[in-house]
Amino acid sequence: MSLFVHYLSLPYLIEGIWFTVMVTALGLAGGLIVGLVLAAMQLSRFWMLAVFARGYTVIFRGTPLILQMVFAYDALPQIGLKLSAVGAAGLALAANEAPFIAEMLRAGVLGVDRGQVLAGQALGMTPALLMRRIIAPQAIRTMIPAFGNETVSALKNSSLASVISVQELTLRSTQLASSTFDFFSIFFASGLIYLVLTTAVSVIQLFVERALDLDRATPQGRLAIFLPWRRVDLSTKLRLAEQAPTAPAEAPPDLSVPPPRAASRVDRAKHAAMVARNNVAVEVTDLRKKYDAQTVLDGLDLTVRVGEVVALMGPSGSGKSTLLRCINHLENWDSGMVRVGGRRLGHRDDGRPLSPREIANERASVGVGMVFQQFNLFSHLTARENVAGPLRWVHGMTRVDADRRARELLERVGLGHRADALPRHLSGGQQQRVAIARALAPNPSVLLLDEPTSALDPELVNEVLEVIRRLAIDDGLTMIISTHQIRFADDVADRVAFLSGGSILEEGPAHEVLTNPRHPVTARFLSLMEADKAPERTA
Amino acid sequence: MHKWFSTETRTQRTPSAARAGLRIAALGAFLLAGLCAPMSANAAPAGCAALQAKYPSLKGKQLVNAINPHTPGYEAIDPKDPNKYVGFDIDLGEQIGECLGFTLTYKAVTFAALLTTLSSGQADIVISDIYATEERAKAADFITYSKVFDGVLVAKGNPKKITGINTSMCGAAAAENTGFVEVPLVQAMIAPCKAEGKPEPTLQLYDNNANCIQAILAGRADTYVNDVNTVDQAVKANPDKLEKAIAVTIPYSVGIAVPKNKPEFRDAVMAALIEVQKAGIHKELLKKWELDPNNFKEPDILSVK
Repeated sequence: MSLFVHYLSLPYLIEGIWFTVMVTALGLAGGLIVGLVLAAMQLSRFWMLAVFARGYTVIFRGTPLILQMVFAYDALPQIGLKLSAVGAAGLALAANEAPFIAEMLRAGVLGVDRGQVLAGQALGMTPALLMRRIIAPQAIRTMIPAFGNETVSALKNSSLASVISVQELTLRSTQLASSTFDFFSIFFASGLIYLVLTTAVSVIQLFVERALDLDRATPQGRLAIFLPWRRVDLSTKLRLAEQAPTAPAEAPPDLSVPPPRAASRVDRAKHAAMVARNNVAVEVTDLRKKYDAQTVLDGLDLTVRVGEVVALMGPSGSGKSTLLRCINHLENWDSGMVRVGGRRLGHRDDGRPLSPREIANERASVGVGMVFQQFNLFSHLTARENVAGPLRWVHGMTRVDADRRARELLERVGLGHRADALPRHLSGGQQQRVAIARALAPNPSVLLLDEPTSALDPELVNEVLEVIRRLAIDDGLTMIISTHQIRFADDVADRVAFLSGGSILEEGPAHEVLTNPRHPVTARFLSLMEADKAPERTA
Repeated sequence: MHKWFSTETRTQRTPSAARAGLRIAALGAFLLAGLCAPMSANAAPAGCAALQAKYPSLKGKQLVNAINPHTPGYEAIDPKDPNKYVGFDIDLGEQIGECLGFTLTYKAVTFAALLTTLSSGQADIVISDIYATEERAKAADFITYSKVFDGVLVAKGNPKKITGINTSMCGAAAAENTGFVEVPLVQAMIAPCKAEGKPEPTLQLYDNNANCIQAILAGRADTYVNDVNTVDQAVKANPDKLEKAIAVTIPYSVGIAVPKNKPEFRDAVMAALIEVQKAGIHKELLKKWELDPNNFKEPDILSVK
């Protein structure tokens, strides 16, 4: 026992820790740099880079570290690269760690919800901006435990550097044992030192996880751990979030009240007649798109005028979502033309396709906002930041201006009091209202809404529809909405376009198409929908 | 002196400082060893001045000596101050260095890595109780300096009645280090054992003496055949568990390994060793480390194409 304590405090062994930590640090730092490059190559659009990265991974993940160490130490000098022992060990460990770290990074990036990436793209964020602001902050949080593991494993693997004369803990222990014959005391002592080191890594890991915990990031967040919904089921959680115990009652007073019908059919007709003389906001001509053999858009034509509200209806798979995504250039098309505000989307002057970055800039300047079925809020950002962030990053607004704009918009959708809440603490209806505020923030000329209420619980549908209704009636915003809400379409839309098989089967004034469909397919679809939601036939 | 040394090593905090510190530590070890060794207070042998004039490029140099420091008596860390290496080979190397005007730092590697470290240029010289064989001479040139007497280490009472590298080893497990010359000698007993209808001897390969000795202590191996001094040291450390069955002669010499492509350096080391021997230092060192004076051997060069 006294021998054990003697060796535990022996400066010779304590100094060995320094080399152990040194090799580990070199290995992790180098591994992180090479791993970043490898992960970027594997995720890249260029397949040659991905193949190269795969090849590297196969070689360095598939051969033992001890061979790599000996190689770096004894073989590299043959080609004139003579590293110190610590340098060679660090290099080998880095080369060995890199594929593992790359896989962690890749998993972290791929683990970020695709919908958020899509939403970022729709807001005009370039790939680099998306990576920095949306993907990386979320990926890093999920990767911390894996990084902790990797650090512990690198720390232990550094002991293999003893074969190439690095004076680290293991080598010093074996040498000491050879000359003193106190085998067990020495190895228990160095084992305990390793344990202390790995425990320190675990403590740091827990600390970092805690520091990055979103629920603790803000004063509200820190309080949130005492709130009951952290441990309750989903429906209760939504209800509690709706009640919002940290704030006064819901601000918009009229959301739950059945909305008043549009002033009158006469007003509606006036409105329709007025917009018919307006400029063209969106013009889609002979748009065609195929996924492999399946035709999604089959020569579709659509013209939407400024201030007009068009409802896209039709069965699932009729091309509604694809059409909306093409208008925002989130998807490419095979042939045809899309013009927004008179500007033709899609190709450079020389006819070649645009790079993702150029498309992002095009989106930001053309001004098309988009609201998704699944809300797609950035889950690591508060409601306010979801709105203000893109304004700063894409449109170069100052923090003060962006925050002011976010506050105004959140007030408008009745969520001023929830500005500091994270999306996960909001109900579905609230999330969708934040998403609408986010889409409106850059003052888009057209707002696209892709089934904005389909993912909501029935009792939350109305609050969202009401926000949209007011945008149409009070603000006169140009909107294209794909929806299954017949009554809502009847209320809000100037025009209904009925899609089937990738083209428009029937279109016309909303009330006319919905009450007296001419095409039998439209009629059948509407009667199916009407089974539970019949539009009132008289005003 | 000792105090200065400790302060220096405690300041190792940055990587480069650590490396520099190590260098200082090694230098300190060298100086300390120089002070402790009774004979090295004397001036270098008379012929050394002429050698330094003949080989001026070595003067003032710091060379790297690759060692497998797991052999107390020849090379191991000092149990009293683990920051330095002590033993016969260490002293001999430093005497040769003193004669030619260079100093040595040490690089601890596994036994099997001694010659690869030398040939990759990571070390300049190997003085680590390595037997000069024709096979090894393909990788390095040797200057032989000591005869070889092997001891057979067995558990107390020699339960398997092993009497050397002969058919008494049939069915026994021998612990050896990877790359040891005893490995092929034990393997050569497979055929005779078979011929006598006995089970073959088996080999367990380790990285250093300590592991081989532990293999016997743990009952995994029955014998460990190695340099007689190493065997004696092991018995001294575990007198109630181990014993030396017998000493055998092995037809090899111990040699200093130098790179094949540096014949001038090889000749310089050989000439310096002759001076050291002439001055009686070699025999004094044998006495200091309690080694058999019969080990003494006048140097030869072993070099094959």
